[in-house]
Amino acid sequence: MVSENLVRKLPNDIGGDEAGKIERVEHELLPWEKRCHALADVLDFHKIINTEEKRRGVESLGAEMVGKLSYYERWIVAFANILFQKGILTPGELAMKMSEVEGRFSDVPNAHHS
Amino acid sequence: MSDHDHDHDHDHAPLTVDEKPGYFDVMETAVRELLIERKLFGADEIRRQIEVLDSRTPALGAKVVARAWTDPDFKSRLLENGRTGCEELGITFYDDTQLIVLENTPDVHNLIVCTLCSCYPRPVLGLPPDWYKLKPYRARAVYEPRAVLEEFGTSIPHEVEIRVSDSTAIIRYLVLPMRPEGTEHLNEAQLADLVTRDAMIGVIQVEYKKEAA
Repeated sequence: MVSENLVRKLPNDIGGDEAGKIERVEHELLPWEKRCHALADVLDFHKIINTEEKRRGVESLGAEMVGKLSYYERWIVAFANILFQKGILTPGELAMKMSEVEGRFSDVPNAHHS
Repeated sequence: MSDHDHDHDHDHAPLTVDEKPGYFDVMETAVRELLIERKLFGADEIRRQIEVLDSRTPALGAKVVARAWTDPDFKSRLLENGRTGCEELGITFYDDTQLIVLENTPDVHNLIVCTLCSCYPRPVLGLPPDWYKLKPYRARAVYEPRAVLEEFGTSIPHEVEIRVSDSTAIIRYLVLPMRPEGTEHLNEAQLADLVTRDAMIGVIQVEYKKEAA
């Protein structure tokens, strides 16, 4: 039964599920989250990744990542995966670029984990 | 908020940072810069879109609602086609979405949700609140809307039908709340001040308290 339910309902398909009380949380987007949102819109305008591809990209991260990553964390990881699938970027290129970006902050202390 | 007139762009590390950017922050920068290097779009497009996002707030939706309350012809055009109705008021749609405006009446109360994700009428309301994107609201709005509304302090009489509309990537909804009683003397701008984001999602009703006027 458990395995059957995995097939019937993908991670995003939660309408009708039981769930707890609604906590009326809101937050002002962090700078990188706002950039990520703008990136999503620009990817859509240029027909590189549309809204439905993005949603499916998030869903295909699987239940554990969908459950544990924050909203925009899911988006950026989904974008990277979709760009790999479309052959626009490779994982190696992204890893190299991420090291380069991290290198710009080499003289800055590590973020404290909250 | 207001010191946006200096002309730097936000594509590189700010001059002073007190901690290293996190993993996903770095990933966003890396993806964006790689795509810009490949000339798939320009850095200016990201910057411009951030400005567009910052310019969209529920005040736009409130303006649409107040116009619909005061101009019956506009209201019928708006209910016919939400997108072109909003465009009449100068609200541009920066995406390919269609907008359906749902009118609350004494017999019907509307509520909007996106069960699959977070689709929302962003051109007219800005970005959705977190609770709209989280599981409890998405899961429960479609099967126990009255209980959900109670959690927002909204009590809808049992004889009033509650309609829940589930948004998609291309079809978005906006609730046209009922104009509260006792507001006949208010002008359009004063009416718009009464209209909140949550009323246009449908989780609350628009209230008017005379002493607040």
